[in-house]
Amino acid sequence: MLYEILPIEHDAKHFEDLALGKENTNMLEKVSNLRVHCGDLSDVVECLQNYEKTGSGLPVLLWLGNSQVHVINQFKPGEETAAPELHRKFQVTNEYFLTLSQPNASLQEHYLLFAYLLNRLPIKELVLPVVFDDMREDGIRTSLIDAFKDQKTADSLRSSEIGRILIANHGDQDAAGNDMTALQDTFQEHSEMVLNSILEEAWSVWAARPTLRGKLLRSLYLLRNWAFGINASSIRKMIPGRYAKNRDALLAILNLAAQRQVKVLVYIPPLRNDVKVPYDIHEYASFKSEMTSIARENHAFFVDLENVVPAKFWGPKDSTTIGGGQELDFMHFQAGGHRLLARALYNELRAQEPSQ
Amino acid sequence: MIFNSLTYLLLLVIVVTLYWVLPYRARLLLIFSASLTFYGFWRIEFLPVLLLSTFVDWWVTQKMRGQSERNRFYLLLISLLVNLGLLFYFKYLIFFADNAIGFANLLGAEIDPIALKIILPLGISFYTFQTISYTVDVYRRFIEPERDFVLYACYVTFFPQLVAGPVLRAAEVIHQFANRAAFSSEHLFVGLRRILYGLFLKVVLADNIAPLVDAGYSMPLENMSALDVWTLAFLFGFQIYFDFSAYSHIAIGSARLMGINFPENFNFPYLASSPKDFWRRWHISLSSWIRDYLYLPLAGVKVHDRSTGGLSAATAERKHTKSLFLSWAIMGLWHGANWTFLLWGIFHAVVISVYRFTEPRTRSLGKQIRWWGGVAITLPVMMLAWVPFRAESVVYAFVMWEKIFEPSAYLWLGMRENTYLITALILFGVFFTYAVKEKIMPKVQTFRFGIALANISAVAVMTVLVIIFLRPINQFIYFQF
Repeated sequence: MLYEILPIEHDAKHFEDLALGKENTNMLEKVSNLRVHCGDLSDVVECLQNYEKTGSGLPVLLWLGNSQVHVINQFKPGEETAAPELHRKFQVTNEYFLTLSQPNASLQEHYLLFAYLLNRLPIKELVLPVVFDDMREDGIRTSLIDAFKDQKTADSLRSSEIGRILIANHGDQDAAGNDMTALQDTFQEHSEMVLNSILEEAWSVWAARPTLRGKLLRSLYLLRNWAFGINASSIRKMIPGRYAKNRDALLAILNLAAQRQVKVLVYIPPLRNDVKVPYDIHEYASFKSEMTSIARENHAFFVDLENVVPAKFWGPKDSTTIGGGQELDFMHFQAGGHRLLARALYNELRAQEPSQ
Repeated sequence: MIFNSLTYLLLLVIVVTLYWVLPYRARLLLIFSASLTFYGFWRIEFLPVLLLSTFVDWWVTQKMRGQSERNRFYLLLISLLVNLGLLFYFKYLIFFADNAIGFANLLGAEIDPIALKIILPLGISFYTFQTISYTVDVYRRFIEPERDFVLYACYVTFFPQLVAGPVLRAAEVIHQFANRAAFSSEHLFVGLRRILYGLFLKVVLADNIAPLVDAGYSMPLENMSALDVWTLAFLFGFQIYFDFSAYSHIAIGSARLMGINFPENFNFPYLASSPKDFWRRWHISLSSWIRDYLYLPLAGVKVHDRSTGGLSAATAERKHTKSLFLSWAIMGLWHGANWTFLLWGIFHAVVISVYRFTEPRTRSLGKQIRWWGGVAITLPVMMLAWVPFRAESVVYAFVMWEKIFEPSAYLWLGMRENTYLITALILFGVFFTYAVKEKIMPKVQTFRFGIALANISAVAVMTVLVIIFLRPINQFIYFQF
């Protein structure tokens, strides 16, 4: 929800941490020495290099996800997410388990990344969560935009209607964090860069402007929630237009996977079951039913992991309103939950092997 | 060069400083060279087009001296041919070629589309209108042709208004270049304040609304509800207002720093109580240009040196309906070579025609009722007019309009909740700002300390926000016209 009011900044990682609060820890940085879990295109190169270095030629199991995949609630030193654990488990059988996740990642973004990575890795299987919250997201964050510039990726996307829409809406956008979009290919672009760097060196406030923008918009977000009584437990309604685009993206992923003979495991992610869920229960049931049908009709594997993580592994998060106390976190669980999720996914992926 | 950038602010500091210390001739050369630099920072290869348009009209008007009416008319035709020819080539050739080929193919011909790659020179629609108005005014003997080319070139190319207006008349500004105003700190204070307002409107408001509008208009039509159409119509209406009025504020402020006064281009247009009133408040310099150089001549009305009133008021006879529709069609196409802009222009012509018909029947109503009722009707109608202006096609615009007449399309929402909330807040903010500026402030003039404190606080907040948000992330919308 935060990213809706941060349309300009939604690719900057430190804003994600602002939204996560101190109860949640972004583990992308923590596993950086392994580079088997990346965020966006800014660090995916490292993941690809690591694959070339340590697993070249091995079949890849690709896990795409949202912040649930890279965040640990109530983190304690030594703990880790499911991603590195799954990587080690599959190392035993000479397979390479690679994870990519971004906060609030939509299926449209997963589609773009899948098309991009298909041309770079020998992907054997795709592991794909379908998250009801993220069906409310739309478009492509700027930190993934460069993927459109890859010709093979663009060609893959053009084979579907939703892919063509994504190219039309985002294909000519500029790369991540470029504040000079309006000056592209003009003489002024150079002068502006020089002046900016001079100011950033001479004046710390100028250099801190991205953080200030984030803090300001974060304050507006808190103010809105306070004014309208919104918190983590408030009901999130489905948004028909965005839902349809993400459903189309899922179908396009499954079609592309079928063409390239990549198996797909679609799963409903863990949801805390000790309290009332923040969804319209009818919409959520309808969503699960539709996702199940789509997966089955398109020959993907499907598993419902909604109840895999028990209540004891879910915790609180910082307030999302002014002066509020802690709130329930419905998305991120503790390290124990990650272990259970890793085990469930591992078992499911192994169960698909013909020899087992 | 765009205004919301450090490069522009640096150029402005240098030019303004030199402007107040240099003597007459050097001052004119400074403005001319600074204007060419300003333009060249975008694409240097289009400077010759700008200079050609500038020179041709200066040359034509010099030749008009002492000529017979017939020869003067031929000279006027040369100017129109060159200026409109440039405009046609750069702006409309692809559009007309595509449509002609499409039409021929519809009739059975099998012609392949022509792959033309023509880049639209920045500001060409503005500076060609300005040079045309100059030549027409000389032809009509409203003004004397300016002998000094550099002085005349300063009028056409003056950087604050070069690429997006206001569309200036020669009589308004040439004398201000010729006779520098006495230096006054008021020029600096007023100029800086207008620039600050403009930057605030652009980088804090317009640029942050833009992603919401883009997301809304990229939504599949079948998922768009009637409330989404209203919301997007209003939201884009606010975006374009903030964006374009921001440009005008910065243009007016930049000129004022040099003691040069530009006419106002906006005056709370969304508080207009009728379509006529709206066009007296929105892009005033263009609507008055269209009235004086297109609509009145087409309507066969004798034009004096400066007509008054809006496009609809200048001639209210029914026989002028044709010229009204033609003027609006051209006004629409002036904004862009696309059927959507033509539809936008025709929509306004229809609205004005309806207004002309109904207005006499409301005269018996009280003044307050007429004003409030007028605003309540004009605001949503003007906002709906923006739909084809922003839509990707005429079909898309019509489908959006159709939705507002479908009762069942009001039963759900297709966008994130924040979009509706932000639209409502801005709508409230526009009315609130108008009430404070026009109604409350005049009544509390005696509380000088309080007013000064409020002004200082507002300027401080805006300054901080502009510093935080200043980035050339988006061009001004009117650059594309």
